[in-house]
Amino acid sequence: MSDETGEERKEAGAGLMQYSPEGMMPFGPVHPSLKEPEYFKLILEGEKIVQVIPRIGYVHRGIERAAQERTWVKNIYLFERICGICSFAHSISYTQAVEAISPFEVPDRARYIRLVVAELERIHSHLLWLGLVGHWAGFDTLFMWVWKDREHVLDLEEEITGNRVHKSYSTFGGVRKDLPDNIGEKAKAELGYIEKRATYYKDLVQSEETLAVRTRGVGRITQETARKLSPVGPLLRCTGIGRDVRVEDPYAAYDEVRPEVQTSKDGDIASLLVLRLDEVLDSCRMVKEALEKIPAGPVKAAFPRTVHEGESSFHVEAPRGELFYFVKSAGGSVPERVKIRTPTMANLLTATEMLKGQTLADVPVVLTGMDPCFGCMDRVSVFDVAKSKGWSVSGEELREYGIEYYRRKRG
Amino acid sequence: MTPVQVAELLLFPGLTFFVCLAFLFEWLERKTAARMQGRLGPVVTGPFGILQPVADFFKLASKEEIVPSESDPFVLRWGPALYFAAPAMGIAFIPVIGYQSVIYHPLDLLFMLFVLAFSTLMASLLGYASAGRYATIAMGRLVVQYTSYGVPLLISIVTPAVLAGSLSLQGVAEAQGPVWYVFLAPVAFAVFILSSLAELEKPPFDIPSASTEIVGGWMTEFSGNALAYVKLTKNLSYVFLSALAVTLFLGGAGGPVLSTNQVLQAFAFTCYFLVKLFAVGFLIFAIKTGLARIRIDQAAKVFWTIITPLSLAQLAVAILLR
Amino acid sequence: MVARKKLGGALGEMFKTAMQRPVTESYPFGRKVVAERFRGRLDIDPVKCTGCSICEIVCPAGVITMVPVGMKTIGSRQVEVKRPSFELYTCISCGQCVDDCRFGALTLTHDFELAVFHKESLVMKKALVVDK
Repeated sequence: MSDETGEERKEAGAGLMQYSPEGMMPFGPVHPSLKEPEYFKLILEGEKIVQVIPRIGYVHRGIERAAQERTWVKNIYLFERICGICSFAHSISYTQAVEAISPFEVPDRARYIRLVVAELERIHSHLLWLGLVGHWAGFDTLFMWVWKDREHVLDLEEEITGNRVHKSYSTFGGVRKDLPDNIGEKAKAELGYIEKRATYYKDLVQSEETLAVRTRGVGRITQETARKLSPVGPLLRCTGIGRDVRVEDPYAAYDEVRPEVQTSKDGDIASLLVLRLDEVLDSCRMVKEALEKIPAGPVKAAFPRTVHEGESSFHVEAPRGELFYFVKSAGGSVPERVKIRTPTMANLLTATEMLKGQTLADVPVVLTGMDPCFGCMDRVSVFDVAKSKGWSVSGEELREYGIEYYRRKRG
Repeated sequence: MTPVQVAELLLFPGLTFFVCLAFLFEWLERKTAARMQGRLGPVVTGPFGILQPVADFFKLASKEEIVPSESDPFVLRWGPALYFAAPAMGIAFIPVIGYQSVIYHPLDLLFMLFVLAFSTLMASLLGYASAGRYATIAMGRLVVQYTSYGVPLLISIVTPAVLAGSLSLQGVAEAQGPVWYVFLAPVAFAVFILSSLAELEKPPFDIPSASTEIVGGWMTEFSGNALAYVKLTKNLSYVFLSALAVTLFLGGAGGPVLSTNQVLQAFAFTCYFLVKLFAVGFLIFAIKTGLARIRIDQAAKVFWTIITPLSLAQLAVAILLR
Repeated sequence: MVARKKLGGALGEMFKTAMQRPVTESYPFGRKVVAERFRGRLDIDPVKCTGCSICEIVCPAGVITMVPVGMKTIGSRQVEVKRPSFELYTCISCGQCVDDCRFGALTLTHDFELAVFHKESLVMKKALVVDK
């Protein structure tokens, strides 16, 4: 997509006009199977999808700009609110990026606690996703059960951080509070329960025939497509490419508590179901291991209120994939620039590719397959009506635009 | 028609009785599904929330009705009444207080087939008249689904008729005195239950009303009073199909004779009927709760390649048994 | 890896769940017990507050405004005395002010029922008392 020129894009636009308006099915921005506003123009032949045109930017809230006016500490709470499900991934990514500017050594215990909460978050995010797949496939019982079990993880998170969703737990120099006493035994009991349930669900999603026919071979992506469109996270790993930030570039305590990279071969929704449940099981193991190995000591070191000049980029493995933060400081109490790329942004093109050739009935399941978080994604949107550019800019165009812009600026 | 017959038709084994049962079925459906999923279900309105469906009905009926500009307002207004008439006609032929039904005709089983087809026809007509895009797609799915389950449903209804040698519901129910047909023709019973799930648009065959794909299915554009009646009709169809299953496969209202008093015996028969009805209803709840929705092409494949041949084989066996 | 295929694999679990107690908490009729660390509505102890305005500076949501409540004489100078007023309807319960209050005047309670008819009723002016 990215190497199309403007002319080609215009031709492609003309090409789309050949489809009759009757064959065009709007999917969103308000649709029961999208909990966040996002618009997909589906071009149908009967029930079969031949083309998908996403249109992003419905919940663009200017967070990156807002961050430039808030102090470093205030931004932790702002970035956490980019996404409710992976809020801790956002806050550790940002705090570690800022710590990397200095560079600043975080106490060991804090690194372990960050790992524990991040993995708990992965468990709850994956369970949420599993429930949603059940719901979109018309299997509400699975949805209710999984969310019922997810409550156990959320309670554990509430016990540790003080809140179920917006944990506000990571801060510069460590975490804000030590683990509660006797959390080890409670976590062991709860995680044992989750492991038992995850094993059962893994069996269920593979054996239940009505669910299997809805997911097996649906939304399949090949390894070549994945290499071309570079999705991140489970969507990449389900094609057999075992890439994981936690292993390749360990942060927090991931160099001491090693995750096992889970992969599966098929690249369809059925393999995503098994893959995510495998990751849940692995996360349970990691949390238990981390709670056993956790060293004693302080959980927070004093961090200056201002950050000296410099820039850094940091990526973490959020439940949905690689989450990237770029932070630039000009010294002083506010950041000069923060750039965020959420996993959904990277996965969107792959999802549109997955949708092609499927039937309308598969749209919710396939879209959920990538675990979309459009609210997180809507950070960049280029829509220039006058130039009729469409929904994205190619690298070539961007380069030309940059050259032109600076030429004009210099005068 | 005598005044007693009119009263029977409108009150006790007739319309009012079955409408109450329809509300009760909705409550039971919600409650059992909730308990199976670890939830509470309705609890507030009435004891154990038993009045919740009634409250929902009246609330919905009192709401504003929105008629989309491109739709056919006449059909949208009066279509639900006709749609409601389908199961309402059907229940009059179900024997409840014994072996005799309120209205009797020696060929009323054929009328049942008409009622089932008419109900689907009305649903697709309503979807077509409302002119929504989701409704149009849902209507396509509904028709495809009907062409798939229609044949096995017909065959599974004919099988007990063949076994009994009668084309009336009374005749079929009476012929099951010694042994219920669910034991003689278990496959036909299973096929009937599966086809009923398709007729009622319940999982795994809730394809025409899949809320996560096409919003409200063919009911998307309905609101207010019309929607209240459409929903009531769906529940009434639920009761009607369960009652049909009881009559055709579980010996109708038949059971041991306990008393020589006619009124007491009628009461006993009604109790037998209700127990069987709830057993069938519960079977449908359980299947519905435990399965995922399949796609329309998969549903068509299942019905044409597996269920139809099975039901034909069952019919052949039934003819041999006869 | 490949499990046996069967229809209705969830049925057994369904009946097992139906026999167990439902997990839904009938919320408005029974109060949910929150965790020890739960961060709910903000509360202030007016006695401990010295009006230093640190909380106003650190608050990420702009909940706190310092309001002048009177004058105080320190040595020979007249100093304005301020006390915080809280617009709790914008509070995100992050607890940054609690962490930074060195006098321990602020606490987060376990109360989470913050739905009200008029948002003015969520303005907390409890600390606006003149110091003696």
